[in-house]
Amino acid sequence: MPIYGVLNCMAPPKLQLPPPFEQIMRRHAREIMRYLLRASADREDAADLFQETWLRAYRAYPRLEPNSEVRPWLYAIAVNLCRNRARDGARRTAVIVADDEANPAADRLGKAHRAHNENDGYAAVRLRELMSALPAKQREALQLRYFAGLDFAEIAAALDCSQEGARANVSQAMRKLKSMW
Amino acid sequence: MINMKTEKFISLLGGEFSDGKVEALLRRSRPRVDGAIQRIRRPEAAIGVVNSPLGDLLVALSERGIVLIHYLLGDDDLEGTIAKLRLTVDPVEDRSSVNEIGAEIRRYLDGNADALRRNVDLSLAASPFQKKVLYKLLEVPHGAVVSYQALGAAAGAPKGARAVGNALHNNPVPIYVPCHRVVTSSGGIGGYGGGAARKLQLLRSEGFALGKADERLPDGVVWGHKGTKIYCRTNCRTTARVDRAQVLFFADPGEAKAAGLRPCKICRPT
Repeated sequence: MPIYGVLNCMAPPKLQLPPPFEQIMRRHAREIMRYLLRASADREDAADLFQETWLRAYRAYPRLEPNSEVRPWLYAIAVNLCRNRARDGARRTAVIVADDEANPAADRLGKAHRAHNENDGYAAVRLRELMSALPAKQREALQLRYFAGLDFAEIAAALDCSQEGARANVSQAMRKLKSMW
Repeated sequence: MINMKTEKFISLLGGEFSDGKVEALLRRSRPRVDGAIQRIRRPEAAIGVVNSPLGDLLVALSERGIVLIHYLLGDDDLEGTIAKLRLTVDPVEDRSSVNEIGAEIRRYLDGNADALRRNVDLSLAASPFQKKVLYKLLEVPHGAVVSYQALGAAAGAPKGARAVGNALHNNPVPIYVPCHRVVTSSGGIGGYGGGAARKLQLLRSEGFALGKADERLPDGVVWGHKGTKIYCRTNCRTTARVDRAQVLFFADPGEAKAAGLRPCKICRPT
């Protein structure tokens, strides 16, 4: 046992505290919100899930191993909550319907839907329908890859599978979407 | 459409929500989320390592008082202790407020009996019984010791000497909650979470004439009865029929007198 007071040549050990939760929230709130908006059905759902995600994250934060990646962990919570919501509400990942008539982008989307034009607006709607038909595992992997921009190692951590599994799920999902198009 | 470019696909997947929309929703949701977290918030605690004559201590300090004092015995000890602590409080490193505790402990070991002024916050106590034992222990004054058995009886478990031992082993705030003032009924020193040497060191500073490796209380000790307010020599014949739950041991007659007791008329302790 070193005696710092007497020898006065060593400082007491520096504490290694994980970053405060506020910092994590500041850093990741935006991308989690973006992800939930894309992955869940609508704005209200996304706002609900957003709150639930951060509440759970706060409760579980002390149990997160120090030095482990925060980002995949947060996405894991978000993904699980999305999954629960889909199960409980028996609501499929529905088509996003714009709620703002004055919004030109929404207007375009609506028109596109009616006209069945194959422009981007329509394509996006159709794509969502197809995605909701994918198996959950593949859909989640796909969403994490392209909505959240995680790499395969992070997807593997978030979905608790191997890196190869994550890669396979994403590519399967991609293949299916293209074949159903 | 089958040969639609992958990049196009990806841009479609990711599109749709402008940054503006995300920002707007974020602005609307944040206050709600902050409010919800506020309701389940763990109390904040300042933590830090202080060095003392008893070795390095990890100290955690909440608004209500000292949450934790932990003897740092090894290197890996620190991380595990902090991990456990984080389940109950949100730690923030704060050397200066923690150093005050170190200063109080230093003054105390130098013989200043009133040096330990800070309140304790026993929110880390594992069970209601353990909490009760620790609160009862706070009533044992400087210069006195109590037996595991007597402490158990005071906390409502006359047969719970072992359980008291466990409670003291889990004492989150040693030194301030004086678990070093608990000895065996037969006058042995008993164990200590930070090692018996530290227990002796603390007892010495409280007036007990103990050597470096003594295992028993010294001969000068008298025992006092909390009910009758009388103190006796340890070999007084009244010891046979006394209620052990009421007994405190004092370092010397002076300490007993200071606690408001009168000497026994049979054994006449001086």
